[in-house]
Amino acid sequence: MKKKLLATLLTCALAVTTLAGCGEKPAASASNATPKAETKTSTEKKEEAPKEELTGIDLIISQAEAMTMEELAKKAIEESNGKTFYGVGNSSRGKSALPKFIDYLKTIDANYNMEFEWQQPKNNKIFEQLTSDSLKSTGTFAMTLIQDGNQIQSKMVDTGILKTFVPKEWAEANGTTADAYEGFLPLQTLNKVFMFNCTGSAKFTNCWDFIYEGSHPLFMGVDSEIVGKNFLMMLTEDKYAGWLKDAYDKLDATKKAYFEPTIQAMQSDAKDLGLGANGAYALAWIKLWVNSYNEQTDDGPICNTLVDASATDQSGLLVYSKLRSVEESASVSVNNIKVAAYEDGYTGIGGYGYCHYLFLTKNSPLPWTACAFIAYMTCTEDGFEAWGKDMGGYSSNPNVAKEIEAKFQHSQGGGDQFPAKNDRGYDWWTGEGKGELVLEDPKYCSEVSFTVGSWIDVLDHYKPE
Amino acid sequence: MQAMNKPDKSAIFKNKVKTWFSQPQNIILLLFGIVLTFSTVAPIVAIVKDTFQIHPGTIDQHLTKRTSGYTIVNYTDLFTSRLAKTNLWTPLVNTLFLSVFTCIISILFGGLFAFLVTRTDMKFKKYLSSIFIFPYIMPQWTLAVVWQHMFYSNKITGTSDGLLASLFGIRMPYWWCQGLFPSAMVLGLHYAPFAYILIGGIFKNMDANLEEAATILDTPKAKIMFKVTLPMIKPAILSTILLVFGSAMGSYPVPHYLNFTTLSTKYISMNSKYTGEASILAIIMMIFGVVILGMNQLSLKSRKNYTTVTGKSGQLTKLRIGKIGKYLVGIIFILVTFFTSIWPILLFALETFLPNPGDYSFLYTGNFAHLTTKWWVTNENITENGMYGQSGILYNNTIWHAFFGTLFLAVLCALIAGTIGTLIGYAVSKKRRNKWANYVNNVAFLPYLMPSIAVGAAFFILFSNEKINLFNTYTLLIIAGVVKYIPFASRSSLNSMLQISGELEEAAIIQNTSWIKRMTKIIIPIQKSSIISGYLLPFMTCLRELSLFLLLCTQGFILSTTLDYFDEMGLYAFSSAINLILIITILVFNTLVNKLTGASLDDGIGGK
Repeated sequence: MKKKLLATLLTCALAVTTLAGCGEKPAASASNATPKAETKTSTEKKEEAPKEELTGIDLIISQAEAMTMEELAKKAIEESNGKTFYGVGNSSRGKSALPKFIDYLKTIDANYNMEFEWQQPKNNKIFEQLTSDSLKSTGTFAMTLIQDGNQIQSKMVDTGILKTFVPKEWAEANGTTADAYEGFLPLQTLNKVFMFNCTGSAKFTNCWDFIYEGSHPLFMGVDSEIVGKNFLMMLTEDKYAGWLKDAYDKLDATKKAYFEPTIQAMQSDAKDLGLGANGAYALAWIKLWVNSYNEQTDDGPICNTLVDASATDQSGLLVYSKLRSVEESASVSVNNIKVAAYEDGYTGIGGYGYCHYLFLTKNSPLPWTACAFIAYMTCTEDGFEAWGKDMGGYSSNPNVAKEIEAKFQHSQGGGDQFPAKNDRGYDWWTGEGKGELVLEDPKYCSEVSFTVGSWIDVLDHYKPE
Repeated sequence: MQAMNKPDKSAIFKNKVKTWFSQPQNIILLLFGIVLTFSTVAPIVAIVKDTFQIHPGTIDQHLTKRTSGYTIVNYTDLFTSRLAKTNLWTPLVNTLFLSVFTCIISILFGGLFAFLVTRTDMKFKKYLSSIFIFPYIMPQWTLAVVWQHMFYSNKITGTSDGLLASLFGIRMPYWWCQGLFPSAMVLGLHYAPFAYILIGGIFKNMDANLEEAATILDTPKAKIMFKVTLPMIKPAILSTILLVFGSAMGSYPVPHYLNFTTLSTKYISMNSKYTGEASILAIIMMIFGVVILGMNQLSLKSRKNYTTVTGKSGQLTKLRIGKIGKYLVGIIFILVTFFTSIWPILLFALETFLPNPGDYSFLYTGNFAHLTTKWWVTNENITENGMYGQSGILYNNTIWHAFFGTLFLAVLCALIAGTIGTLIGYAVSKKRRNKWANYVNNVAFLPYLMPSIAVGAAFFILFSNEKINLFNTYTLLIIAGVVKYIPFASRSSLNSMLQISGELEEAAIIQNTSWIKRMTKIIIPIQKSSIISGYLLPFMTCLRELSLFLLLCTQGFILSTTLDYFDEMGLYAFSSAINLILIITILVFNTLVNKLTGASLDDGIGGK
């Protein structure tokens, strides 16, 4: 009886609420919603200005984009003195940058003070956190530092939750203006690169070698970290599919014979997915990659594994900067690995690059301070130092990048002793015929998320035997 | 005259109401019946609603071509698309296997141990009884990480060699290293103390007359076991299944670390792109909770009060397992518990002195100079010295902030859940044949049977709206923790209250003793051990809970999310140190409570 009572109560409550919900909030008509969701991009933010002026954020951003760093700093001091600044980000280092920012503001006004809290949500929670915060009239978070262009585009920018602010000095350093610049504002590009353990005899001289028979590279997995899936989706873009085709052409006959059936099998899928001429090469590479990578929880364990002498012939695709913290011991050494793209004669993609983007929230409680902080991180060496002190993270501001290199000399970070740690820099890594990083394009990823992305979802994943 | 005799209905009604409200148990049941109905049903309603809602940037938007509104497309896509096997059926089957095997392992291991401790003359009982509960004290996935460090090998798992492979060249097969077997083993070991405490409680108190009668009648020992002993401990086994099945089903970290796809791990991986479908997975897990509760009710239907089996008998005789046997069995268990309880702690301690995470090379080179104290004493995070941008443990603000946050959370959860649970247990025991009382009892217990990850997801959705936004606040964690852990206290309290004869309180009522005084001077002192267990269990569980809080706060907010963050990042020195901090904290509190009140987790079982 009590079971019945409980079941009846639960059922009624669920049914009533569900039906009530359906009745209370009629679905938006397809004609209204679809074009908005599918066609609106970050570049159209200016067209929306009159609507967004209600919150004042767009107005503030447009004014801030015309101000110098110092002018912004003064507005920030006026706005946030004695208050608490809440930021949220995928990188924990926002917490290191904020005290420096406060110190900078104190050089303008010695009496200035601001408390701060920097949150780093786990997994994919940042999107839910920002979405939930956006429902308030005045949000908790002033700004965010966020990765995964695909979800940023579809969940944050298309929905108007996040707003791009382009600092004046940053635009000038990049030879553009805030009005002319299209896209999100990147703080930095990070690279994940192919590495392999070199204590054995295995050779990786072509990006197709990582998916050749018997190879099981260590990788975080497309479900654990979505930027990894963005990388795979980006491979289907014409430029990168072309790079894969070029690398394939340089394989020897035996390896070509191994890959050829898969490439042929992908032709119809490539056509169905509307990919370009070399789409089948990209799909073949993706399929074999998903079929063969050995999924790990994070790049940290992957690095720990690869630098160990016992991981003979293992390979992986991981954040380059992880090498910075390896301590030499009897079985562990940076010299136990090689960065594939640094090896003479290596052909094809060397890894992929993704950005940490900076945004204001649409209901930012401290918009001027957020703008000033964003400008500080993107336009000053001090502001970027929290990230710049380590290899493998490249400021989007060329002036800052130069200052960072001059100060930390990452290009010679490993010297002759640990050549794998000599970071060749953004230009080398992204150059064709050099590092050949596959760079994330939020718009492209967002467009193919449910075509190529769903195609990736159904691929079988590798399980060790 | 007639008018005088006619009863005044309104006066009667008023008197009835007054009488009804004069009984504290009625007020308790009414109040908590309403509160718990809301706290249990509202999150469920929120998550059901979420399954129909369109989420921008996810599959439902893509399929409906709409950015808002409601749809059933999440259901049709999850159950019928070409991803149905990957996203639903395989994880569902895996989850069921994991839950069943976890129950079997925990009952066999915990039950056998309980039998040996309570019914035989095995030696070293006191030590073993204390050490046996250690795996439950430790966060469950830390055993999974230890498993990785022990058994992984380059040849089998494609990683670097673990301890067995690097020291002895032993390479365990894949099924041993990853998947169902290690996940069930780790969870089984983690929950075996449940079985030990529950089954041991009955073994300790059950009347041995029945077994002795069977022995006198020359009944074979196996028959006595299956026809007499096991039926007597059936309620405890069912209770263990009740507690373990839902917990194993909702465990996220263990299958995550041991590479086994379950509904929990799928929920997390689907949440970004298939948000509404992930919520359906959470509902499926919740349905299992309700089904288990229903099955439990059915199984206990004939038994109005199953705790009668714990009525004490003065005739408990212990099975003699031989002069050598009693030492041999004890030593075997000392060895087993060494590997399940002591070894992980030693590894945690050792890990904090290794030069690189998981780098045990000093063991076979003998070069102890490679050991380092940097993970503890580095007091800055500017210079890159192999610390991955972190300050040492002693100076790491993230760790210590999370530690104090966790203590605050655990203490409050324990106090609130313990108090509410105790009151519910008291009230239900007073009105045990009352339907509303039974409803309150069930609705209080239901959240425990729901997988933690699903409860966390439901609370996140419920409290993330334009009116209330509690993400990453202690308030939300406390609400979720209290709702989830009330059952610990309510069950513990109910079982103990049922043992108290009503005459005691009635005598006090005749003396016009107030309810508060009756509770504090009579009821609570008599059953303080059980009641304190009702506070201790939520406290201890809360300290190292991850699945429930995973979706409700950021990493660094509490210790378990911080620990998980470091484990995922492969920074095992930090996660191991946090483990040590947790274990020491729990032991200190357990000892403190034990000294102050005489109560402890294995109270009344462990060789006392």
